[in-house]
Amino acid sequence: MSAVSFLVIFFITPAFIKYLNKKGKVVVDYHKPGKPNVPRPAGPVLLIGIVISEIILYFLIQDIIIISVVLSTIIAFIVGYIDDRKAMPGWFKPVALIFAAVPIIVLGSHGNSLGLIFDSAFIPILYIPLILAIMPIVGNTINSIDVFNGVASGFIIITMMPLLVSVILFGNITVFLMALPLLFGTIAIYQYHKYPSRIFLGDSGTLLLGSMYAGLSIAGNSEIIGVIALLPAVMNSFLFLASVKKIVEHRQVKTRPVSISEDFKLVASKERSAPATLVRLILARGSLSEQEIITKILILATFSSVLAFISIVIQYFFMKGIISL
Amino acid sequence: MILFDLFILIFIMWIMIMIVSYFLIFIIGPLHIDIFHNSYDRLITSIVKALSAIGLVVVLILLLGILKTKYLQKILLRK
Repeated sequence: MSAVSFLVIFFITPAFIKYLNKKGKVVVDYHKPGKPNVPRPAGPVLLIGIVISEIILYFLIQDIIIISVVLSTIIAFIVGYIDDRKAMPGWFKPVALIFAAVPIIVLGSHGNSLGLIFDSAFIPILYIPLILAIMPIVGNTINSIDVFNGVASGFIIITMMPLLVSVILFGNITVFLMALPLLFGTIAIYQYHKYPSRIFLGDSGTLLLGSMYAGLSIAGNSEIIGVIALLPAVMNSFLFLASVKKIVEHRQVKTRPVSISEDFKLVASKERSAPATLVRLILARGSLSEQEIITKILILATFSSVLAFISIVIQYFFMKGIISL
Repeated sequence: MILFDLFILIFIMWIMIMIVSYFLIFIIGPLHIDIFHNSYDRLITSIVKALSAIGLVVVLILLLGILKTKYLQKILLRK
C-alpha cells in the first residue's frame, strides 16, 4: 500500500504540474529572485494516491476505521480545495473542518479513553467534543506552518515517525497500515515540494495532511503523542492567534511578521503590531535565507519528535507497570 | 543560538503537557465525591472532573500565553 501511494503520487505529479501550468493555476513564490510562478495545489494528487492505497487496504482488511479516516481526509481536502479556488474568510477553514471529524465519530473509530502518558482517562462523553476540536486544530496547524518550500511535507514526514511507533504500541495494526500511505505519499510529494518547489501543496494539500494525521492519532490512541510531535507547529499557531487575538487568514494581517530584503533574505519585523510567528522568532537574531529557515524549522520538528519518542517510552513503561508512581 | 532558545521553549511546553497529564491522571482521575450516597454522586463526580480538566487546560493555555509574552519581550522587543 505504501508503494502504491508513493508510486502513484511520484509518477502523476509531473503530469499534474504540466496541467496546472497549462491551465495557469500558478502563484508567485515571493521568496526567490525573479519571483517565479509555481503551480498550485498538489492536494488532488495527494488525495488520489492516498485514497487508492486506502481502498486497496480496505479490500484486504475490511475495517470500517479505514473508511472513516478516508472520509475525514476527503472532507478536509474539499474544504481546502474550496479555499484554493476562492479566498474564504478566516473562520471558514476551522469551522468547516469540524465536519471532517464527523465520519470518525459516526463510524465509531475513536476509543473512549484518552492516553495521557501516565495512564488513560476514560472520558466517553468528553471525548466527542475533543475530536471535534482536534480535527480543525491539527488541520489548521499544518496549514499555518506551510510558509516555505517543503516545510509542511517535511514536517509531516518527520513527525509521522513517533506517531507510527505510538500507533503500533498503543493503537492497532490496522491504523499503522493506514498511516503508511500517508507517510510514503508525503515522501513522494516532498520530492517536488522541497526547496526549490516545483509545486505548492495549497490549502487542499495541507488540510488533507493535517486532518489525516489527526484522524490517525485519534484512531490509533495517540492524540497526546501527536500533539507533542507537532509542538513547533502548535507553537506557531498559538503565537499567531495570541498576537492577532482572532481567527484570520495570514493574508488578512496588515503588518507582516517578516519582510524580504534586497538580497532575498528574510528579516523579522520590528513593528510591535506585527503578529508573532515561529519564523519571526527564528529570524529574531538576524536575517536568514529561505533555505536556512526551512532547515531550522525541520530541526525543531526533529527535536519535538524526539520529545514525542521520550513520551512514548514513558507511556510504555507506565502501561507495562515497569514504572509506577 | 536562537534554535537553542526555541528548544528550551518547546521543552517547557512539553514539561507543561506532562504536568497537566500527571494532574489529570493522579489528582483529578481518582477524585470521588460522596454527598447523596446514590447515583447522583457519580454524575456530580463526572461533572466536577470534567470542569477540573477543562480548567486545567485553560490554566495551561494562560501559562503558555505568559510564557509567550516573556519570551517575545526577551527576544524580539529587546532588539
